[in-house]
Amino acid sequence: MSHGRDGQEGSTGTEPSVPDPFEENVLALMPALRRYSRSLTRSDPDGEDLLQDCVEKVLARRAQWRGVNLRAWAFTIMTNLYRNRHRHWVQHPEVELDDELGLASEADDADPLEKLRLERALDRLSAENRSVLMLVVIEGYRYQDVADMMAIPIGTVMSRLSRARRQLAEAMKDDNVIALRRPK
Amino acid sequence: MTDEFNTVSEDELHAYVDGHLSQPERNRIEAWLEKHPARAEEVRQWQAQATALKSHFASYARSDERDRSLLATGRARARTGATSRRHILGRLAAGILIFAAGALTGLYAPATIAPDRPLEIAQGPDTLPRQAQSAFLIYASEVRHPVEVGADERAHLATWLGKRLDYQLRIPDLSALGFSLVGGRLVPVNGKAGAMLMYEDGTGQRLTVLLGRNTDNRETSFRIASQGGVETFYWIDGTIGYAVTGEVPRDLLQRVADECYRQFEGSSAS
Repeated sequence: MSHGRDGQEGSTGTEPSVPDPFEENVLALMPALRRYSRSLTRSDPDGEDLLQDCVEKVLARRAQWRGVNLRAWAFTIMTNLYRNRHRHWVQHPEVELDDELGLASEADDADPLEKLRLERALDRLSAENRSVLMLVVIEGYRYQDVADMMAIPIGTVMSRLSRARRQLAEAMKDDNVIALRRPK
Repeated sequence: MTDEFNTVSEDELHAYVDGHLSQPERNRIEAWLEKHPARAEEVRQWQAQATALKSHFASYARSDERDRSLLATGRARARTGATSRRHILGRLAAGILIFAAGALTGLYAPATIAPDRPLEIAQGPDTLPRQAQSAFLIYASEVRHPVEVGADERAHLATWLGKRLDYQLRIPDLSALGFSLVGGRLVPVNGKAGAMLMYEDGTGQRLTVLLGRNTDNRETSFRIASQGGVETFYWIDGTIGYAVTGEVPRDLLQRVADECYRQFEGSSAS
C-alpha cells in the first residue's frame, strides 16, 4: 500500500500500485460526471466541488452499489448531493462574474455574452427542474430512467421537463438584450 | 373530428424534441406541427435550447489531469469519513459547528413563525413542522458534519438524546424502507432540548426525524405540512411531538412516518 511514488508523473503518491477496477470505472466516468456537475452548478469551482464530493460519496458507498449501471448510480448520487447543497446555495446566490465564465468556456468559440445569458437563465431554474432538464437533454437519459434515478413518478419528470423548458424560454426572452433570432 | 382525432400530447412533443420517437411517429408530429404554428414555434425554441445546452457544456466532458488526484482525495476522505471521524479534535470542531448552527436555528425559527405574535404562537402546534423543516434545511445540506453523533454509536446516541429529552428513545430502524441511520444531534425544539435523527438512502437522499417536548399534553392525528418541496409529516402524542421531514415523494414519507410511529409506540410502551 505505502509503495512510495516511483516516478509516476503528476501522481499524488497515494494511489495503490495495483489499479482497482472499481476506481478505474469511476475514472472512466469522470468526463460525464464533470459535465453533469457543471451543468447543475453556477460556476467552474462549484462544479469541481460537487464532482469531488460525488467521487468521495461513490467511493465511500461502493459496498452499496448493486453492480449494475455504475453511471446511473453515480448520477443519482450527484443529483442528491446537488439537491442537498442547493438549499445552501440559495442563501449565497452571489457568484463572481469571472467564475461564471469559466475556463472551459474560453475553449469554444460561442459568443461569450450569449453563454453568460444562458447561464443566467439557467440560474432561474429550481434544482429539481434543472436536474431533470440536464439528465434528459445533455446526458440523454430516457424519461423512465430519470424517474427511476430521482425516485419520482414519470409524470413528475414530464412536468418538471415542461416547466424547465418554458422557464428557460421565458428567461431567455426577458433577457434578450442582443437579438440573435433568425428573422421570419 | 379531423384534427381533434389526430391530436398530439405535450409529452409527445418533448419526446419528439429529445429524439425518442420512431420515424413514423416523427412524421405524424411534424404533420401536426405544420397545422399548429404556435406549438411549432415552441418546439423550435426547445430544440434551440437543447442545441445551446449541449454545446455549452460539451467542453466539460473531458478527462483532466486532476482526475487521478481527485480520486485519491475522494478515497482518502471516504476512508476517514467512514472510520475515524470520531477523533477528539473532530468532535471539538463538530461541537463548535453545532453551537453555531444551533444559534442559527434559535434565531431563525421564531422569526419565521410570527414576528408580531411571539408569545402564544411560539408554543402552538404548527411550530413543530416549521422547526422540523428549518432543521432539515440546515442539517441535511451539511456535507461534513450533518450529525453530532454518528450511527456507529447508535446505543450511545439513544441514551444521550433520551436523557436530554427525558424520554426513553428507541431509534427507529428504517432499513426496510431503504434508509440507514446517519446519526443524530441535540437541537432546540420549542425552546427545550429536542432530538434530531438523520437517515440516508443508498444514493444520499436524506430524511430527518425531529422529536421535541410538547408542553400542552395532548394528541393529534397525522398531519402534513409542505413548503417549497420539503414535506413534513408530524403528530403529537402526549408530551412528545414528532416530525418526519424530507424532500421525497409524499407516499414514501408517509410510509416512513408510519414506520416511525409504529416503532416509537414500542418505545413508550416498554
